[in-house]
Amino acid sequence: MAIITKSNVLTGIKVREAMRSQVVRLFVGASLNQCVRHAIKYKVNALLVADNNDHAVGVVSKTDLMSAYYAGLPLDLSLEAIMVGPPLCCSPDDPLEKALEYMSACGVHRLYVSEDDGKSVIGVLAYPDIVGLLYRLCRRCKRSLVSRKKVETVELFEEHIIAKEIMSLSVKAHLENETLFEIMEALSEYRFGAVLIRDKGNAPIGVVSKTDLIIAYRHGFSADTKAETIMSKPVRACRENDFLAEVIRQMIFSDVHRLFVHSEDSERITGVLSLTDAALVRSGSCKACTASRFLTPHG
Amino acid sequence: MKNTARAVMQTRFTMLSPHDTIKEAVIVLQSASKEHGRRVFGMMVTDQEGKLVGMLSMYDIFLFLRPKHIEIWGEMDDIDLTGLVGEALSRADTIRVGDVMTTSLISITPDTNLMMIVDIMIKKHVRRLPVLDGKEIVGIVFMSDVFDYLLEKFMQ
Repeated sequence: MAIITKSNVLTGIKVREAMRSQVVRLFVGASLNQCVRHAIKYKVNALLVADNNDHAVGVVSKTDLMSAYYAGLPLDLSLEAIMVGPPLCCSPDDPLEKALEYMSACGVHRLYVSEDDGKSVIGVLAYPDIVGLLYRLCRRCKRSLVSRKKVETVELFEEHIIAKEIMSLSVKAHLENETLFEIMEALSEYRFGAVLIRDKGNAPIGVVSKTDLIIAYRHGFSADTKAETIMSKPVRACRENDFLAEVIRQMIFSDVHRLFVHSEDSERITGVLSLTDAALVRSGSCKACTASRFLTPHG
Repeated sequence: MKNTARAVMQTRFTMLSPHDTIKEAVIVLQSASKEHGRRVFGMMVTDQEGKLVGMLSMYDIFLFLRPKHIEIWGEMDDIDLTGLVGEALSRADTIRVGDVMTTSLISITPDTNLMMIVDIMIKKHVRRLPVLDGKEIVGIVFMSDVFDYLLEKFMQ
């Protein structure tokens, strides 16, 4: 790939080098049920909605599906009722940094890639794709932790980013017996992708994400259902002092978007680190690549 | 016998429920392979009334197993795949067959001509087709059976 010859982190890289070319799309008349099925099957956070002429007219995200669940909308409703449109687009030849600034300015997590102002979409660019690109670059770099088996010197050790340096400190936790209604309200209010679930003794026992919620929606669980019924377990977590490179690797391996971060005491959750946070530092592992940072809607 | 689906369709088949978990479906696929003496890579999915509602294929399971950030995996030749499958299956407890099955189905009747079946398999990239008599499922046609049958005819 052309990216291996580039020495600077993102400068000079075009959108087409980081975008994902598989765009999961549905016809505007498709049902919410079909949309949830596609989101689960293709592991995507949002689907593009197209009209009869296959022109992109909107987007339905997991957040939109969760809102439909919260509002008690029937699963056979068509996507037209909840989609947000038109989709925000960029060109495949736009500089990646310009696209990221646009995402940040618009407060969105993805841009669709089009050569004709959104009529036909050829790709999608989201924060995890940037992490993917950075990680690939990082693995090609001789200074990178991921390309070495161990850190040889103290100096090199200090160059590497650790989880607690970039994790988000605001972790929202809920009790196992709280309802999905309450969980959804918290996710909407704080714009989080997932909340931690604790038992009565305050121990972390699971996570409820938007994915868990839309699966519950499709499986017919009432929004009055207790969080413990649908939560994912165990809590996927890393230590505060783990190298970012290893944390990214763990997220990629476990196919999750975030890891909770704990102190030496594994039951004491102190933060949460997502692929978006990893994208923020523009680096797969070390500080050599952090000269410029960008801001996300949370950032 | 005429050269129709009836000549090649399997009339012994195992079916899945949309409520089965992916983990249960994988077990059923494995046991069906033993029972039928052939590798079974896909199955019909029926509702409580026995109505065909979908097909679950190896492809659907591959999609589920495939890591989301596959482009990065291309660079990671030092990761043990065994652990990956374990991770994916640990998530399979809550995902049901109905969540990932293919619902846009093409079915044939026992009287569908074999060349029509070949045409459908080529154009639609499908390896197996449910055979319906009205609403009743009477069989399933596998690509390999069609191929074997036609080869035998050619040899004659």
